[in-house]
Amino acid sequence: MQVYLPIAEMTVDALLLLGIGFGVGWLSGLFGVGGGFLLTPLLILIGIPAPVAVASGANQTLGASVSGLIAQWRRGNVDPRVGVVLLCGGLLGSLSGVQLFAALRRMGQVDLAVALFYVVVLGTVGMLMVRESVRAIIRRRRGTAQKAREHTWLHGLPFKMRFRKSRLYISVIPVVLVGFSIGVLSAVMGVGGGFMLVPAMIYLLGIPTAVVIGTSLFQVVFVSANVTLLQAWQVGSVDIVLTMLLLAGGVAGAQFGAAMGQKLRGEETRVLLGLLVLGVAAALLIDLVRVPAHLFVIGPLP
Amino acid sequence: MRGLFALLLLLLLPGLAAAQALEAPQVPDTARPTLAAGISTRLVEVTTGFTGASILVFGAAERPLGGETGDDVLVAVRGPRQPLVVRRKVEVLGVWINGPSARFRDIPGFYAIAGTRPVWELLPEEDRQRGMLGLDTLQLIPSGDRNPAFRAALLELKQADGRWQEHAVPVEVNGGRLFHTRIPLPATVPTGDYLVEVLLVRERRVVAQQTLNLRVERVGTAASIATVARDAPLLYGVGCIILAAVAGWLGSVVFRRG
Repeated sequence: MQVYLPIAEMTVDALLLLGIGFGVGWLSGLFGVGGGFLLTPLLILIGIPAPVAVASGANQTLGASVSGLIAQWRRGNVDPRVGVVLLCGGLLGSLSGVQLFAALRRMGQVDLAVALFYVVVLGTVGMLMVRESVRAIIRRRRGTAQKAREHTWLHGLPFKMRFRKSRLYISVIPVVLVGFSIGVLSAVMGVGGGFMLVPAMIYLLGIPTAVVIGTSLFQVVFVSANVTLLQAWQVGSVDIVLTMLLLAGGVAGAQFGAAMGQKLRGEETRVLLGLLVLGVAAALLIDLVRVPAHLFVIGPLP
Repeated sequence: MRGLFALLLLLLLPGLAAAQALEAPQVPDTARPTLAAGISTRLVEVTTGFTGASILVFGAAERPLGGETGDDVLVAVRGPRQPLVVRRKVEVLGVWINGPSARFRDIPGFYAIAGTRPVWELLPEEDRQRGMLGLDTLQLIPSGDRNPAFRAALLELKQADGRWQEHAVPVEVNGGRLFHTRIPLPATVPTGDYLVEVLLVRERRVVAQQTLNLRVERVGTAASIATVARDAPLLYGVGCIILAAVAGWLGSVVFRRG
């Protein structure tokens, strides 16, 4: 069944989009991540223009994360103070990210920038994930305990704030910075950024694991809403038909994935996720270095 | 005579009877070389399920068409003018990036020419240039990089995606005096006003000409979405946020297991 995407101005197979949505949703349910980092590259791969893939990917991430946030909020797993401080950085970051995106578009380098961002970020995060979880598996086999939370230079920074729910007394600077970086990545890559935000919150900020998922979803929902708004306003590349088709497949897939994910062990899951992330990075890298089939490309005047 | 033509058209092209809005062929009032042409539809609607379409251009001439001695027919379809940029990929540090570019500010978004014979066999060069008949007669003057390779790439890529066509389909002759051609419009066809020119050629001269209007328009949901997104981007952005949030929440309620 063919469907016309009004903003991308192209016709795509609706079943293909539903399938991609379902597959990505299934994996995101399985691993407990948003899945935006898989979705956007897949969309680009099937020929959706990069600006539309990124903007609609952010819009889809918003839809896919809303129900999670509601559930976590009800269970009291969101630290609103950390969330708001993170979000301040996140909104600023996504604002700058969209400006960067618009500038790259005028220069005709959006495709390259999106691909490079993906290769670098996914490559790094994938390697860290694999290393961290392999270490954890080895530690578990040997039976040694993990070290307690350390005091680092981060605790010496000014503008300290008390976060009661997380039982933390830390400077707002690293929190805002983390939010800002994720905001930029969210705008340029069309991801929620949960897969980077969660480890950053645990290892860098020392936020207790109980509130990490809920609080990160808080940031993801509002930042992706901001990215959607700014991309629609300044770039004009959010395709709501594309978003809805991806969401329809995604929410269904996520439920099946989540049911399966409960049977998998934490560290093993993270190794698999890390390998998946590395695989996406490798595919994009190959695409960048391979001699293109057509040396010339045509496009609309930005 | 006119009634006979209409009858013949209906008999020979049964598909036309079903086609919407059969245009009555217009016959000029003078007795000079007559050409009567019509088009299967004046409006191509780009709906949410649009996968491309085709338009049937048909008509009749007074003298026999085709063959060695007969008259010839040319059909040219021109779409709205659009700006376009052609970029060349270059290798930088092992990575292929968009390098130099040429901007073509004012080129037809759609162009198709069809004929009973190729246009360059039918008309002298200067007439062809003046009438802009044939892809090589299009005024493609770039700003930016002036390397002729960009122009060549533009011609090649536009023809590959079907937005420019040169004798991609023939003009067929039935019963000696009736002609028809079916011009395909790809899914990426630009929206706007089109002109369909039908020319009757005899002894290397255009002896009769008729111009028909055609409109390609987005309709239905696709049209409203594109219009809102362009005219009220802020409102559209807010709408996208609300729709995605509601759909995501509803979906999780519907698909919740256990």
